Formats: sequence, C-alpha cells, structure tokens
Amino acid sequence: MLQYVTLEIDGADIVVPRGLSVLDAAIEHGICIPHLCHVRYLSDIGSCRLCIVEHVVNGRSKITTSCTLRVQEDMVIQSNTERIRKLRRNLAELLVAHAPNSRAIQDIAVRCGVKEVRYPFRNENCVLCGRCVRVCSECAGANAIGFVGRGKNRRVDSPFGSLSEFCVECHTCIELCPMSIQPCIGYMEPGEERLCGACESQLDLADELPGHCVWCELGENFQCGRY
Amino acid sequence: MSRDFTIKIKTVSELEAFRKRILNDLKKARVVLTLCGGTGCQASRSEAVSTAVKDELIKQGMDENVHVRVTGCHGFCEQGPLCVIEPGNTLYCNVLPDDAREIVTKTVRDGEVVERLLYTDPVSGKTIQTESEIPFYRAQDRQLLAQNRQVDPCSIEDYIAIGGYSALAKTLFEMAPKAVIREIEASCLRGRGGGGFPTGLKWAKCREAPSDEKYVICNADEGDPGAYMDRCVLEGNPHLVLEGMMIGAWAIGAREGIIYVRNEYPLAVKHTRIAVQQARDLGLLGEDILGSSWSFDVEISRGGGAFVCGESTALMASLEGKVGEPRPKDVHTVVDGLWHKPTTLNNVETWANVPSIILNGSARFASKGSNGSKGTKIFALTGHIKSTGLVEVAMGTPISKVLFDIGGGPANGIPIKAVQTGGPSGGCLPADKFYLPLDFDALAEAGSMMGSGGMVVMDEGTCMVDVAKYFLTFLQDESCGKCVPCRLGIDRMLEIITDITEGRGKSQQISLLEELGHTISQTALCGLGKTAANPVLSTLRYFRDEYEAHISKEECPAGVCEALITYEIDPEKCTYCGVCKLACPYEAIMGAKEEVHTIDLQLCQKCGICRSECKFEAVQIN
Ligand SMILES: Cc1cc2nc3c(=O)[nH]c(=O)nc-3n(C[C@H](O)[C@H](O)[C@H](O)COP(=O)(O)O)c2cc1C
Ligand code: SF4
Ligand code: SF4
Ligand code: FES
Repeated sequence: MLQYVTLEIDGADIVVPRGLSVLDAAIEHGICIPHLCHVRYLSDIGSCRLCIVEHVVNGRSKITTSCTLRVQEDMVIQSNTERIRKLRRNLAELLVAHAPNSRAIQDIAVRCGVKEVRYPFRNENCVLCGRCVRVCSECAGANAIGFVGRGKNRRVDSPFGSLSEFCVECHTCIELCPMSIQPCIGYMEPGEERLCGACESQLDLADELPGHCVWCELGENFQCGRY
Repeated sequence: MSRDFTIKIKTVSELEAFRKRILNDLKKARVVLTLCGGTGCQASRSEAVSTAVKDELIKQGMDENVHVRVTGCHGFCEQGPLCVIEPGNTLYCNVLPDDAREIVTKTVRDGEVVERLLYTDPVSGKTIQTESEIPFYRAQDRQLLAQNRQVDPCSIEDYIAIGGYSALAKTLFEMAPKAVIREIEASCLRGRGGGGFPTGLKWAKCREAPSDEKYVICNADEGDPGAYMDRCVLEGNPHLVLEGMMIGAWAIGAREGIIYVRNEYPLAVKHTRIAVQQARDLGLLGEDILGSSWSFDVEISRGGGAFVCGESTALMASLEGKVGEPRPKDVHTVVDGLWHKPTTLNNVETWANVPSIILNGSARFASKGSNGSKGTKIFALTGHIKSTGLVEVAMGTPISKVLFDIGGGPANGIPIKAVQTGGPSGGCLPADKFYLPLDFDALAEAGSMMGSGGMVVMDEGTCMVDVAKYFLTFLQDESCGKCVPCRLGIDRMLEIITDITEGRGKSQQISLLEELGHTISQTALCGLGKTAANPVLSTLRYFRDEYEAHISKEECPAGVCEALITYEIDPEKCTYCGVCKLACPYEAIMGAKEEVHTIDLQLCQKCGICRSECKFEAVQIN
C-alpha cells in the first residue's frame, strides 16, 4: 500500500507518496526546480548541484540537493529564496562558460538568471552530468561507458578507451545528453561563444518572476510536466 | 622477550596475571635502551643503529640485562635517529651506527653521558640531557605520544605492561553499552579527523539505528601533505587504536571492525597486522573475548590511494570495491554506511583517546582543553620554524605558544608572517591572530579550521597569493571531479589566481573570487569542495593588500611571483667576481673583468640561480 507524506515546498502543502525525492515531488506539482543530472527513471548522484534547496529544520536552513533528499512528513523546503537563486546562478554560470554549445545548458543559464558570464568561455563538449553513464548501466544494462580519471581529467569513456564490445547501440546515451541539443543560433566556433541571444527576452521574464518557467529545451526532452 | 604462543587469556584475572608476569620480566633489565624506529627515523637509518647497538651489547656481554626497545615515532623526527637510555632518561640525537660502541661503553656500562650526542638548544646554544628539559617537549602535553616511547609496537606485552586492555576489561564487565556512550558524551570528545563531530553523539545515533549488523571503521587514510600524526599513532601504538575500536564496537553493537590504512604507510600496515594477529593469538580478538561471550574481529584494508578516499562515504565506497568517490549524505553513514549498514567511522586519534577516557574517567579528559574542545590534539608543525615535528598540546593552547615556546620561533631569523592550519583546505592566519586558541570553534570563526592538525609556518618571504595557488592546485588534483562547484569552481579560481600572479589580474576579479569561493563552499557535495575555498578566502580576508598589490601595482611584495619580479645587481655590492655570469644558463649577465655586472632583462628567465650563487648578496629582487 502506498504511504503518503505531506510536506511544504515554497509555502505550498503537497501530498506525495513516501520514498519520492523532493525534486520529483516538486516537479510533479508544477514547481520548477532547475536540474541537469537528474532523470526521472535513473538513480540520482547529485553532481550538477543545480537542484539545491533550503531544507528548514528547527528554524535553521541547510542547503542540500533536492534530487537526493527523500520527502519526509512535515518537511519544510524553500526552493526559490534569494540565497538559493544566487548560488544557482553562479553554478549555471560555471556550466554555461564551460560548455556553451548546448541549448539545454543555455536554457538552464537563462532559467537561473545568468545575464553575464564572468569567465572566459571554453568550448567543452561534456558537462559530466553522468546521464549517459547511468542510462547505459541502469536501463541498457550494458555498462559500455563510464567515468574515467579524477578531478580535471575526469571524462566519459568506454573501458580501455575503445568502443566497447558491450555497447548495444541503443543510442539512449545520446538522446539523454544535454550536449546533443544545439543552440538555436547554431554551433558556436571557439572564440564566438556567448549567451544565447534568442533567449534574452526570456531573461527579463526570469528576472521579473524568478522561478518562472522559461520553456526550457531540457524540459521538453526530459519529461517536464508542462510539456 | 620470547613469547609463549600457547597462552590464551580467557578471563580478566588471567589478563592481570599475565600483566604481572610481564612486569616482573621487565624489572630484570638493569638498563632500558629505547631506539626510535618510526618512519622518520628509519629514513635516517635507525635500523642500522639498532643492529649496531645490539651487536655491541652482545660483544660486551651485556645483552642479558639490557633491554633494547625499538619503538614508534617520538615526534622529533628532525633530530632522529633518537635514543633514550634509562635510568637517567638521557636522550641522544642524530645517532649513527658508529656511535653504538661509545653509547654502550660509556652510558650503558659506566653510566656516563656522551656530551656530543646530546641535543643542542638552537636558541641558547646549550646542550640538554633529558627529553623533559628540551623546550620542544617541555611545553607539550603528550597524553598519546608519550606512550609511543614506552611500547614496542610489535609487542602486545609492552602494551599490556603499561595497562593496556584494562579499559576493555572494564567496558566488558562493568559498563553497559549505554554507559560507555554516556561516558564518551560526558568527555566531550570530538572527532580528530577534521570535522570535529561529537564522538559520543555519533555512537549514540549508530547504536539507535536498527540493524543486526553494524561496523566500526578506523580512518587511517591521512592524505594531507605534511601530516603524519595518524601514522605516528598507528605505527607506534597500534594496540591503543585497536582497544579504542573494541570499546566503540561494544558500545554501538558491532561485531566487525575495519582499519583503513593509507597505501603509502607500509610500516603502519605491518605493525597493525602484527598487532591484530597478536590480539587474536591471545584471545583478545575473536570469539568470547575475556569470557564475556562478546565477539569482535578486525580486518585491515589498504587505502584507495587518493586524498578524497579519506572522506567518509568515499572511504566506504572504496571498501565496497567501488570507485572511491563521495556520495550525497542526506542519510548519514551512522544509519546507512558500509554495505548499507549502520557504521561508525572515526579517525585514528579519536579512537586512541577512547581507552583512557574509559579507564580514567571522562572528567580527567575534559579537564584539559577549552570550552568546546576537550583533551589534547597532535599537530604536525612544519615550515619556516626552528623545531619541526609532532606536537601534542591541550586544546585551547594559543597558537603563539606552539610557534614560539615549542617550535622555537622562525627558522631563518625572518619574522613569521602567517600560519596555515587545517591541512590543504585550511586557512592562513596572520601574526596578529596568533593569540587565538587552538580549538575547533575559534579556528573556524577566524576562517581557518582544525582539520586533522597540520600547521605550516610561513615567514615574510612567502607570497600569500602564491600559497593560495599552491593549495588550490593540490585540491584540484585531488578533487574527484564529480560535482560542478568543486570541479569547475576550483578550476576557475585557479585560473583567476594564476592571472593575478602573472600580472593579468583585474580588480573586479577579487570580488568574483570571493563570490565564487562562497558558492563552492555552500554547494559542493562533499567536505573537500566545501572547504576548498578556505585557502583563498582566508588569504583574501587577511592579506587582501597582497592581492591588490599584484593587480594594481603589478608587484609581488614578497618577491616570489616570477612574472612580477626582476633581478638586478646592486652596483655597490658587486665585486666583479663573475660567478653569476658563469652560472647563468641563459647568458643574460654582462660585465667585463673589474666592471659592475648587469642583467639583461630581455634574456633573463628569472631562474634565480645568479642570486643563490652570488656570495655578496648583490643580486636583488625588485
Ligand atoms: C576530502 C576529505 C578527506 C578526508 N581525509 C581524512 C583522513 O585522511 N583521515 C580522517 O580521519 N578523516 C578524514 N576526513 C574526515 C572524514 O570524512 C570523517 O569525518 C572522519 O574520519 C570522521 O572521524 P572523526 O569523527 O573521528 O573525526 C576527510 C574528509 C574529507 C572531506
Ligand atoms: S556525455 Fe553528455 S550525458 Fe554524458 S556526462 Fe557528458 S554531458 Fe552528460
Ligand atoms: S566536492 Fe569535489 S571531491 Fe567532493 S564530490 Fe564534489 S567534486 Fe568530488
Ligand atoms: S539534479 Fe540534483 S544535483 Fe543535479
């Protein structure tokens, strides 16, 4: 029998089944908490840190990722405070400066209110969200790709660096990869990177109504309840 | 002493009888000669010394009534190999194998002192005969480290002789698990591994967690550069740690323990293995310990070889055979730890404090220390300071006491500018904060931390921006790379700091550094990322003018950052000797005989060789 718990997210009382993550509970109730590494049907590793929320316990709030936090009875969660917005914006800025050639990443930056990138752009083609790695092992059961290396040298690769004989060619890894969605202005060559122009109008909206849906590409491809 | 392998200790009274017998045996020795065999002294050939001493004793027919004990580290590695002779408590430093003869003839046989082997106080220039008179030791409070001198780590008899395993006996027969936890809670013991989490509370939560299987783990992964207090304790007194773990296991209800030892500590692994085997042989580990019907055993596991493997969840992942990477801790490891079972993980030093708390009571432990931090703590003192080594003091001792009374002040006469506490992700405190007590809360408030007890002393010749860069580089190499703030954030901080040290810095980058630093510490997944910004934030807090000088004046005040300095020859001091000209690998120095030499700044690669070669200090940094 399903057990339900009641919790409060951004002032709204919601009732969800026990065992759900706070992020899933929020999405299910139309509260958008930006996220990147989370995929509904995969395990959560808490690596992008975008889904941070304030978890208020005894009047003191603790910052934690909502994808890895299980719902509890009478929990109080704030997903859209000034503090969280600022931290999230800084994280999104790091991401978009690192890998601007993705509509998904650009959308996240817009959604999180990034207006200016204060670091030199890089043109990397992976943000190490680990969606591909997890879908490969958890859904395809193939374990054909994984993380290798540590720190700065961390990358996704097949074991021993050659196309693994375990790959079942299901291509789900590519489907889930945020880097597989091109920015609407097309591929930006090294040196040409910038925040995506087409989204600027949305930026005002994101500013005026923080937490407002910007109809992000990631949402459409990755089962956001609004689409 | 030879050992009877058939003995099994089955009751507390048998343990006491065993202890009595050992003490009687030890009394037979007229002289006890203690040689330090820790890793530091081994590096300076202590093994050859102990062989030479033993040979000499046999040669002179004194091996019967002289007890030679090779012990773990005494903490004064800089002066090693060390040798202490009782009676008289004479301490010899820097002993060589060739000294064996003189030591045996003069001191052991005739009871005389060999003056030239005594310690010379660098401050007063006088020789000092006993350990307790040496300033380095005198100002310390060596609750844990002092035992290292009394036991041969490979001899369970030595440990039992100094009262070993009586705390275990007391626990098993006089205290209920809850009483043990209450005692630890009352002692206010806080974890020595970095976080300073109250140990009693951790145990209580782990005991409450429902499960029939639980684990205790000893974290001996010690990966901070320059830190070796855990190695010293585990290597020098493994039974103490083992006894602590057994008491903890009894308290939380665990039947299995694991000691996770850093891979680069072969001697600690060896001594721990021997200790575990000896305890099993005597029946102190295994089934029905001391007839209490309680069973417990310990395994030793070698570390995954990365700094981050010392983090609790990464350590457990590594023990499970997975990649040693941290995972989110929304459910704490005391509930969901190793193999998803409740697990108590404590640091070596934390475990080592447990037996004496149980045996002598929490009040005695809590009588030392400051308000929020009780007991003693071992620090690894290194850097620009006269005496380096392991220092154990009561918590709450002012930093200045450690630097000046124990460490003897600056090494090269250049004033001390800062001290970095807490390991690579600790903070740098300036001289006007040296009055601060070494306690968890005071250090955290000042923007640094206790960490595992590293203390790096830096003099005025150190550039604080360069220091921040050094630690960031270490942390970047050691980050697992899993989460965005730590992986990308440290990388960007390093990018900015590199710009600043190379003269490309802009003034708005200082506030960006600060904002980024705070973002990383609030959002990173594990403790590494959460503290990674400390070196930058603390130097920005106390040495902001140095950052500003690098940016606005393009100057490195300490003359360290290569891109911002030029080498120049002082015409007043130059004696035309030509040494610099010959030494310069880039042929950047001009000057005929009998003529002031000059450096061609276009050709100069700033290697600094000329400066170190010039005997007249004529080459200067601008
Ligand atoms: C990156 C990182 C490295 C760590 N390394 C060690 C270590 O080498 N030894 C240790 O005892 N604790 C280390 N810790 C702290 C452990 O996570 C844990 O808090 C500690 O072992 C708990 O024991 P305690 O409560 O006795 O301090 C590390 C933490 C982090 C975040
Ligand atoms: S390849 Fe794509 S899906 Fe895989 S980790 Fe990188 S960004 Fe994520
Ligand atoms: S904070 Fe750093 S070390 Fe810790 S999980 Fe994140 S990337 Fe890994
Ligand atoms: S979605 Fe939670 S950390 Fe990435």
